[in-house]
Amino acid sequence: MMRFVLSLLAAVMLAPIAATAQDSEPLHIEITDGVIEPMPFAIAGFIPESSEAADMASQITQVISSDLTGTGLFREIPKSAYIQNVSSFDTPVKYSDWQAINAQALVVGSVGMQGGKVVVKFRLFDVFSGQQMGDGQQLAASPASWRRLAHKVSDVIYSRITGEGPYFDSRVVFVSESGPKDNRQKRLAVMDYDGANVTYLTDASTIVLAPRFSRDGTKVLFTTFETGFPRIKMLDVATASARLLPEVPGTMTFAPRFSPDGTKIVYSMEQNGNTDLWMMNISSGQTQRLTTSPAIETSPSFSPDGSRIVFESDRSGTQQLYIMPAGGGDATRISFGDGRYSTPVWSPRGDMIAFTKQNQGRFHIGVMRTDGSEERLLTSSFLDEGPTWSPNGRVIMFTRESPGAQGSASLYSVDISGRNLKKVSTPGAASDPAWSPLLP
Amino acid sequence: MNRADKIGYGLSGALHVGVLFWVIAGGQWFFPKPNEPVVISQVAVMSEQDFNTMMASAPKDAPQPTPDPVAPTAPDTPSETTPPPETPAPEPQAKPEPEPQAMQQPDPAPDAQPDVSALQEPTPPAEVSDTPPEIVPPVEEPSPTVTPDISPAPKPKQAPRVAPTPAPEPPPEAKVDPQAQPQEAPKPADTPDQPVEKPKEATAPPEASTEIVTEANKTEDKPESSAPLASPRPSAKPKPPAPKETQTAAAPAEKKPEEPKPAEKKPAETKPAPSEPKKVDSASVNDALAAALGGAGTGGTGSAPTGPPITAGEKDALIVDIKQCWNTGALSSDALRTTVTLSVDMQPDGHPIISSIKLVGATGGTGNAVDQAFEAGRRAIVLCGSDGFPLPPEKYDRWKTITIDFNPEKMRMK
Repeated sequence: MMRFVLSLLAAVMLAPIAATAQDSEPLHIEITDGVIEPMPFAIAGFIPESSEAADMASQITQVISSDLTGTGLFREIPKSAYIQNVSSFDTPVKYSDWQAINAQALVVGSVGMQGGKVVVKFRLFDVFSGQQMGDGQQLAASPASWRRLAHKVSDVIYSRITGEGPYFDSRVVFVSESGPKDNRQKRLAVMDYDGANVTYLTDASTIVLAPRFSRDGTKVLFTTFETGFPRIKMLDVATASARLLPEVPGTMTFAPRFSPDGTKIVYSMEQNGNTDLWMMNISSGQTQRLTTSPAIETSPSFSPDGSRIVFESDRSGTQQLYIMPAGGGDATRISFGDGRYSTPVWSPRGDMIAFTKQNQGRFHIGVMRTDGSEERLLTSSFLDEGPTWSPNGRVIMFTRESPGAQGSASLYSVDISGRNLKKVSTPGAASDPAWSPLLP
Repeated sequence: MNRADKIGYGLSGALHVGVLFWVIAGGQWFFPKPNEPVVISQVAVMSEQDFNTMMASAPKDAPQPTPDPVAPTAPDTPSETTPPPETPAPEPQAKPEPEPQAMQQPDPAPDAQPDVSALQEPTPPAEVSDTPPEIVPPVEEPSPTVTPDISPAPKPKQAPRVAPTPAPEPPPEAKVDPQAQPQEAPKPADTPDQPVEKPKEATAPPEASTEIVTEANKTEDKPESSAPLASPRPSAKPKPPAPKETQTAAAPAEKKPEEPKPAEKKPAETKPAPSEPKKVDSASVNDALAAALGGAGTGGTGSAPTGPPITAGEKDALIVDIKQCWNTGALSSDALRTTVTLSVDMQPDGHPIISSIKLVGATGGTGNAVDQAFEAGRRAIVLCGSDGFPLPPEKYDRWKTITIDFNPEKMRMK
């Protein structure tokens, strides 16, 4: 009883103190949801420092604008809304003028020609904080590489604002298609990530499939039918020369992919009616069998650290995704949803796996955690397949084929949030994209 | 008293009725019936020989019973032999007599009446107790009992206090009437009675006006002071300068107009003459407070938060306002896993002090992600704060500083 009385008295005496302490604390609130919309930004023009750089300055400005707005994360404010006229690279920024038009980021730059090279300088400003974001940068390249210069500038701006890694200065190898479906001609081509600068790597004399970039972007592995059977070839991008990899007579090899260190390739080999995964040392040609299941196992993809491999297998009766050690061994199934899973690709960041899913007559591109959790389907169509990751792991490019006899394949990209689904511009029909690493 | 009376009446009546009933009817039930008088006869004792001789001499037709009844004839002692049936009789004979008297003693029981009668003069209980108790008293008593309960009601009659003031005003009504009549004169042509009533209505308004006038004055004052309702609290602000004046009478007079910051140091310089360090300390404290207030802008007391706390609705309004500007669309996936806590100082007009925005804490992300999350949060504060946040000015002390958790839990890619 006495304790109760004492505790009661103590509580009564301490209550005001606690209340006072609480009162003296600042107002505290928690915000758990906001809005998702493109950030408005302004490019005060890349000012030409000479007359000969005028056209290039305009083109560079356009590419940068296209890069940023193409992400779906930014919205460019029309130049007609600008209040301040930035006449030179060193013109002081009137933040109030840009705040008035709700520009949250401002890019000011210039383009000049020095020693036969294009020199681009730029600064990025955080308008509402009234300060520059990072240091200004200056890039130089040959006039022929002005697009890369523009992409590099875009990468810097993109990374500083979003915190994501860059990916604009990258290339995509794909299969360019032409002709009707029953007589489709396919050849390898490479282009900038935005569809510009398309270069063909092979001719249309034979069918080629599933090209894959090496980690350094100098080589491409692909499957060719030039011998009548699927075989793996490795192509040097710079010279466009290719060579067949060693093979075991009477077998078919396909679905190759480089190891992260570029010294090995993992691929599928059909032998005596059974398809398993194999690994080959590129320099020595030595091979190692990774799986021995009677099921069909294909589409292997290394984890970024090279320690594990994700692949598809129908050992459970239907196509599902499995992960096993890079040297082979017990495989763990990670996909358990309805439908069939195929073409898994490990994210460059290592945290997710993209895949193709077929369910109820529809194809989807999806992503999941490496343990199979948090599966999210990003697309849905008549036929979506063959995802590939951007260098920063934020965007996925894939093949979408339209139905019907006149249907054709196209390249699409989508943010891993599922937003910003858009078609990638290509000269014609295209399929099997493979994103290169960021160019040096 | 009345209630006690009522109870007294009730009790006395009940008791009287009970006593009377008991006196009248109780005797029949409780008084032991007097035993029938016992005929006593003497019985002689006869020997066995006498009996035999008697029997022998007696005719045989004579049955036995007769001799038994004869037995009673034996008078003397056999009274003890036959007693069982009779012995109880004598005892009851003693009881019945005293008991009837005892029954009258209950009358003194009703003497309890004196207690009640003492409170109530009327002795009628004997008579009233029969019929009246229930009906009569309730009718009379409730009124007195109600009045005391309603007694507080008269307090509201304080309104009459206001009424008296309007009462003198009716005369002006007479003044108003003449003015109104000429105007209404044309109307009464149809119904003269109504116009007469109208001026009465005009009289009523003045009464109301007397009350309204006072309220009207307040309301007139309100519009000017309504916004400053917060300003009366700032009145605590002028208080600090007041002590300065008391301490340094002459100098402060000149410095009053410059109350803000410069005036604070000067008195400190003039004070060295007064040799009270304590006063200097208090002045410096006041100066510091004044400086803090000056730095915070207009308004605000600068003291610990006082007054009503921020309500949940006000908090929600602030949250809704800020989240409209919290754009996570351009955040990296790492930044979307990062919760940052920002602190911002506010101006009394609801605008954030941009330079005061700082990162207080962060969880769940790397350095770069924290920077991105911080920038997004800061942008939200700056953007939506440009028009001022919807915060109650009178509670400025409560939101002088705001800490905000930007938790993108619901914004993550799922």
